[in-house]
Amino acid sequence: MAVATAPPARVAPRHSAREISRSRALNRFKWSIRAPLILLFSLVLTPVLLLQLYFSFHEWTVYLGSWWEAEFVGIDLFKEVLTDERFGWAIVRSLGFAMGSTIGCFVIGFALAYLMYEPFRGSAIYYIIFILPMLTVPIVVAYTAEMLLYQSGPVNDVISRLLGVDFKPAWLTDPKVAMPAVTLLEIWNWTPFSFIIMLAGLSSIPREPIEAAQILGASRWRIFWEVQLPLLRPVILLALVLRFLEAMAEFPKTWALFQGGPGSSTETIPVYIFLTTWQYFQISKGAALSYVAMILMVVIVLLAIQLLRREKRALDAMYSSKTEAAD
Amino acid sequence: MTKSRSRRITAIIRYTVLTIWAIVAFFPIYWMISTSFKIDTQWFAWPPVYFPDPPTLSNYLNVWLGAQEYASTQYAISSQTPLVSLLNSTIIATTSTLLAVVFGAVIAYGVSRYKILSEARMFQLLMLRMIPPIVVVAPLSLYYSALGLLDTMFGLILIYFLTNLPYAVWMTKSFIDEVPREIEQAAEILGASRWRTIFEVVLPLIRSGLVATFLFILILTWSEYLLALILSKTNVATLPVELSKYQGTTEGKVYGRQAALAVGITVPLMIVGLIIRKHLARGFSFGMVRR
Repeated sequence: MAVATAPPARVAPRHSAREISRSRALNRFKWSIRAPLILLFSLVLTPVLLLQLYFSFHEWTVYLGSWWEAEFVGIDLFKEVLTDERFGWAIVRSLGFAMGSTIGCFVIGFALAYLMYEPFRGSAIYYIIFILPMLTVPIVVAYTAEMLLYQSGPVNDVISRLLGVDFKPAWLTDPKVAMPAVTLLEIWNWTPFSFIIMLAGLSSIPREPIEAAQILGASRWRIFWEVQLPLLRPVILLALVLRFLEAMAEFPKTWALFQGGPGSSTETIPVYIFLTTWQYFQISKGAALSYVAMILMVVIVLLAIQLLRREKRALDAMYSSKTEAAD
Repeated sequence: MTKSRSRRITAIIRYTVLTIWAIVAFFPIYWMISTSFKIDTQWFAWPPVYFPDPPTLSNYLNVWLGAQEYASTQYAISSQTPLVSLLNSTIIATTSTLLAVVFGAVIAYGVSRYKILSEARMFQLLMLRMIPPIVVVAPLSLYYSALGLLDTMFGLILIYFLTNLPYAVWMTKSFIDEVPREIEQAAEILGASRWRTIFEVVLPLIRSGLVATFLFILILTWSEYLLALILSKTNVATLPVELSKYQGTTEGKVYGRQAALAVGITVPLMIVGLIIRKHLARGFSFGMVRR
């Protein structure tokens, strides 16, 4: 590991002709990989971002003429977007949804992983069943949820029988429970993500500190809080951050199940942008909305990356010390 | 005595909690499968029907083969057979994934051995994956229509290739990092060029890692919905888009048909996922968490 991460010693003390041709060849090699990468992304990404910018400053809908003759409206669209109450609520809803589902996934996933990281009989079966929801196509999750959640459907039926009371929330038509329903669905769908990450984390943290604490007579509870949890910090943060980002982008389930309704109770950022652009055909407003959402997401992602870079170093250090110990 | 007793209590708690969640996790999947075998009066019945009685294959025959004798007029869906979408999905997902993994592995090799991308650049690459696609999909569709790429296979393959590249680079890099450098150095001393070293020494060494990466990205591409919905209309609809057409095309609920289609979309994915179950953590964490 240490060898692989050290910078290659390419600078020789004497620059012989051979050395120079070698370093030229190396440079050619490097650029023959870099160039197509840069070319590809600039050919696709640059025009897209420029178009986005253009539409944010020009009023155009599909009912008007050619888009390149659209009227310049300055920052009017941004004014409209930033004072749009519906968009404000969409942001709040998205953040709430992402936080709620992230925490839900994490708590359940971590608990399951904690119960499973030491081998026991039947653990393989549980592992397979637990990862199945993650392997279900999101759009399929949405339609299956519809079959399960209608008011006299199986979910309410099972819960009513178990509790012995009439449990009949209208998951799909009551604006008050629609968003919680999507959140629960997201938790069902992605708990496996937190579970597998935490399981990998729990089984790869060094055993010595835990054994030392056991010898000193510490309780399971204290070992968990004072030894395992601090060691797991990078994995925990990773599981939370990546899940949060994915949840901010969630579209298929929310859309297929509710299309923003009932009322506007499930309009998250992606759903609202989709509605504006493809149902109301307000391309320009959609572009301005996208721009604001993109800036918001860039800020969040940059913060996340800052955090991930730090934690990745901690993780790499953990794995390399492990392989060295194994050698 | 007390120790073995507390151990037994721990075991009981463990099995109880795990079994409860196993039921929660599996019940919706069971419901999807069982609905696909139900006759039309049991799709939406009250009280709900838990076991298809009698089980029927008519949903599958109708949805996948368009068998008319099974299509009661009320529930018949006038769309192309999903076999076309199955073919579309297969071609688009495998091609874009294969391209992403091969190119990604080459980049990953360059990063791992020659630092062709700095750590900051690597995280910028990741950003492309982390920003939700919804914020660029509208101008992308206009750009695509200007280039004539809208509703073409090439268009979808290109965009999936780009969005999957970050995953491919990060995941294959975590495998390449584990290969000792000495082997490549030996190949270089024997006179192999860098490209030969990559394709004939390094990549074969991480074969199983490449397969895992390929299958992992295949799962993501297979289930992608938003880009497929916007960038394909009729010609190259993928399976998730095909499934969503069942919504809103008729007044009645066609749960049985939907379920038959859904099972067909999901089961291959589950099989693939179970094959690479040991590598899923590495995949989803961009190679940062390993087992």
